[in-house]
Amino acid sequence: MKKILTIARWEYIEKVRTKTFIISMFVTPAIILLFSLAPTWFSRNAEESTRAYGIIDSSGIFFRPLKSDLEEVMMKNGQPKFVIINLYNKDENFIMVKKTADADVLRNKLEGYILILNGGTDKTRVEFRSRGSGSFDDISKIEEIFNKVKNKFLLQNAGVDSSVISASMRYVTVNPIKIEKNGKESKADFITLFFTSFIFIMLLMMMILSTGNMLVRSLLEEKSNRLIEILVSSCTQKELLAGKVMALSGLGFTQIFIWTMLGLVSTGAALVPMNVFDNIMPMMFYFILGYVFYVSIFVGIGSVCSTEQEAQQITSYISIILTMPVIFSLTAIEYPGSLLVRILSYIPFTTASIMILRLKIETITMWEYFTTVGIMIVSIYVTIISSAKLFKIGILSYGKRPSVKELVRWIREK
Amino acid sequence: MLTAENLVKEYKDLRAVDNVSFNVLPGRIFGLLGPNGAGKTTTIRTILNIIRPTSGRVLFDGEPINENFFNIIGYLPEERGLYKKSKVIDVILYFAELKNMQKKDALHEADKWLKKLELKDYRHKKIEELSKGNQQKVQFITSIIHNPKLLVFDEPFSGFDPINQQIIREIITSFAADGKTIILCTHQMDTAEKLCADIFLINKGKEVCSGSLSSIKKMSGTNTVKIMFEGDGSFISSLPYVSKTEKTNSHLEVTLHEGMLPKDFLKEIMPLISITHFSVVEPTLDKIFIDSIRGNQ
Repeated sequence: MKKILTIARWEYIEKVRTKTFIISMFVTPAIILLFSLAPTWFSRNAEESTRAYGIIDSSGIFFRPLKSDLEEVMMKNGQPKFVIINLYNKDENFIMVKKTADADVLRNKLEGYILILNGGTDKTRVEFRSRGSGSFDDISKIEEIFNKVKNKFLLQNAGVDSSVISASMRYVTVNPIKIEKNGKESKADFITLFFTSFIFIMLLMMMILSTGNMLVRSLLEEKSNRLIEILVSSCTQKELLAGKVMALSGLGFTQIFIWTMLGLVSTGAALVPMNVFDNIMPMMFYFILGYVFYVSIFVGIGSVCSTEQEAQQITSYISIILTMPVIFSLTAIEYPGSLLVRILSYIPFTTASIMILRLKIETITMWEYFTTVGIMIVSIYVTIISSAKLFKIGILSYGKRPSVKELVRWIREK
Repeated sequence: MLTAENLVKEYKDLRAVDNVSFNVLPGRIFGLLGPNGAGKTTTIRTILNIIRPTSGRVLFDGEPINENFFNIIGYLPEERGLYKKSKVIDVILYFAELKNMQKKDALHEADKWLKKLELKDYRHKKIEELSKGNQQKVQFITSIIHNPKLLVFDEPFSGFDPINQQIIREIITSFAADGKTIILCTHQMDTAEKLCADIFLINKGKEVCSGSLSSIKKMSGTNTVKIMFEGDGSFISSLPYVSKTEKTNSHLEVTLHEGMLPKDFLKEIMPLISITHFSVVEPTLDKIFIDSIRGNQ
């Protein structure tokens, strides 16, 4: 045990002092914050200018109400979002009007225009014509207001009372509420959910990659200069492995500790909403399980590499697996109970990240807790045993990279 | 005493060590010699319990070597390197602690050796800031700081200048005088000849020859003579009992056929030329090494 501690202390101090570690400690959360805050910031700032859109409505029914309703939409700074111009003139040929409007858009005289075809009939069609695909936000606003105007027109024509019309026009939103066992309920806010779980998954991913990389690199150094031989003539391979894993876990905890502190500071500064810390304990637990699982994989695989190139190749494979949960996180938020998300919760490579995600968006049953944690513990046990075997042979083999068949033989060897 | 008994190490399609047995006596430097790929490193790794032999065993003072022996082993591998970004003193203390030394003792010993090897001023320098020779000295210290009973040096002199080679040689000799068990692996036959009392020559995993240096030299025969003379000696090479001649600018080295004694050869040529010098040449270890490996192939 004393030797394990000696190794762990050495490895920890050696790595905690490295520039890579110090940089990743502060740069990682900075990058993640930037990525998560930048789009919101940009979209907020993009809103600062009023857009001028035209309308071509040959029926003449929708122009006025549409213009007045659209011009009532305000931006956060109190300025109107849209300025609406009439492009239709009944004395001109419709085709010509459209052609001129298109030319104006192309010549940048106009940002875009709304083309209403067959207005007042059952076959009404609306196009938003602009140089690009158009702002998603603007189009959905136009769509919402157009439908309101159209329905109002139809109801008025049918002789419905104006008070009934205005009551029917009132938009009712559906609020998602997450119910929990202890009677607690919380408002499920899509954006916050997405960002908090996303940040946690990204942190896990970055942490695994940075410490994993560090481990592989140091193993490679020890292998290439044969330090490993001195080490294994001073302690058992098991002690060496245990010391290294312990040091890495220590590094992981150091990072978590510092990140939590940074998180608390930024909550204090109202940069991060308080509900980020809901369910923090089980999330941390999955975080640690995921981290230990990947670190033990890195130890095994890292010990097999003998060149920098091989190491890079292998770490890039692992990063692909690690990014999977990030890719699936959108699906998971859109369809929390979907089969795919459920299946991914039981695959050890994705369990930790997917469960962190699910903890935020749905209530996890006790049964699911037990099975996923059980799967993780068994997987960690299996990877540690296999990695220890790979490590034992891998650290002393140089030159040609062993084939998968050989690796399997090493793992099976008693 | 270290005893290797019928050591065999097999890999998938290779017998790296093939039934090797030897004894290493305390106080006598044991030279493990052989060409590249002969199985020296594998033998060393087996001795140090880094890898397990396929069969056979290694005993130290009658007990099989296992992890309890780690702290009495000092090992200097052929390829060198240390933690480049770390300080000299930290690296030395780390390895000392791995050998179960108390920190206080380790510090004391580290300072003693740093002073002895003229590295005192580099105590707090990073390894990468040291010259290659000085890095090697630090590595040498890490292998001996815990005063091990069993020392294994693989090419300990490579990378050292002649002055430092001499210093290291003196230290190793002093260890032998202290009664330590020492295995020395080297290609430098002149060094082995100067240092080793016992020799074990290995090739293709098998023993080629072994024994004390003097007995091996005796065994290798004394059928080469060195002569200096006046007159035309060109006929010597065509004599029936001469197998080889080698002329240098001052003398002629003559290798005789087996059975032909140097004194008889002298009698034969005395009447024909005027001899100014005649001596029997003792074979160098280098020659024994080359002849044995060639003869073995």
